Amino acid sequence: MKCSQVEKRLSAFQDGELDPQEEERVKGHLESCSACRDRHEELEKVWQALGNSQEIIPDPGFYGQLIKKINESDRASSPTGFRWLFQGFSSPWAASTFLIAGILIGAFLGNFLGRSELFPFQPSRAVQSQAASDVFSLKAFDPLPPGTLGDKYRRMATYEGGDRR
Amino acid sequence: MTKPLLKKKGKKPYSHLSPFTKMIDPLTEDEELMAGTAQGDEYSFELLVKRHQSRMLNLIYRFIGNRTQARDLAQEVFIRVWQAAPRYKPQAKFTTWIYRLAANLCLNELKSCGRKKLFFSESPAVPGRTPTEERNVSPSAEDILLAEERSRQISHALQSLPENQRIALILKKYDNLSYHEIAKVMECSVSAVESLLVRAKKNLQEKLIFHEK
Repeated sequence: MKCSQVEKRLSAFQDGELDPQEEERVKGHLESCSACRDRHEELEKVWQALGNSQEIIPDPGFYGQLIKKINESDRASSPTGFRWLFQGFSSPWAASTFLIAGILIGAFLGNFLGRSELFPFQPSRAVQSQAASDVFSLKAFDPLPPGTLGDKYRRMATYEGGDRR
Repeated sequence: MTKPLLKKKGKKPYSHLSPFTKMIDPLTEDEELMAGTAQGDEYSFELLVKRHQSRMLNLIYRFIGNRTQARDLAQEVFIRVWQAAPRYKPQAKFTTWIYRLAANLCLNELKSCGRKKLFFSESPAVPGRTPTEERNVSPSAEDILLAEERSRQISHALQSLPENQRIALILKKYDNLSYHEIAKVMECSVSAVESLLVRAKKNLQEKLIFHEK
């Protein structure tokens, strides 16, 4: 292996990420090349120096404070108003299906409740129609206002003698 | 049984456990604890937090460099874990997922702070473990001061790195993730991770050598 190739793989070699064959080749090169060996040692120094970083220990109140924050965020995110109605639905499809089913049930109930047997005090449509036609038919016998064309035609048709004018 | 602290609607705590099992085995997999958390089980969530809180806190602290902000962000990570639990599907390892959450939060925090670099300026309020303490040798005052100074230098050097290099280096050095795992966390290729680490180490070399001089 050439020095330029080894230099590129030194970091992975240090991290133990090379496959066994490549690792052996790098090891072999390091044994024979002092320059690459020096570079490897410098990397090792940096790596060892990083180990001097202090680790911090979580304080005993960490979990209690976390729980408090979770409860506060749950309270803040509780749905209000109309959102509360859809809180139980896991997806928009479920909410839409429920809405459509509600409309269909409402329409069915509306037709069902409109039936006469359930509400006897309301006149039925047939009775209403009959009453209306009675009213209209009575007008046929109303006398036509005198002097009007209709009145003259009626006289002509019935020929009431002595009433000619 | 103590009263649950979390006021979550839904199933009662411990409902997913057998009547003969009063406590969850501490060796329970993270994914099972997430399933319990999704059902509103506070004990599962508590176990999850206590298992990962130190890891998250230190990752974020090393990235941000500010202890108070790191604690707030670490808590934010777990708030998001709690909120996402009902939708969580174990397509990847839980640790990959939570690391990705933390990394994204760190990067967003930097963006919202206008890319200000927060340098470690606090003295350790809570004593951490120094290499001397790890060797079970009582540290002298001089040792403690030296350790703090070295830690400060390292923190400064880390803060000087570009964000992606910083995250990759922290995940490799302190969390011992493989290149493959780091690639999943950062959502990039393995060769990109290798390239980031090469550049990060080179930059750090220059910074730390400068400090030594």
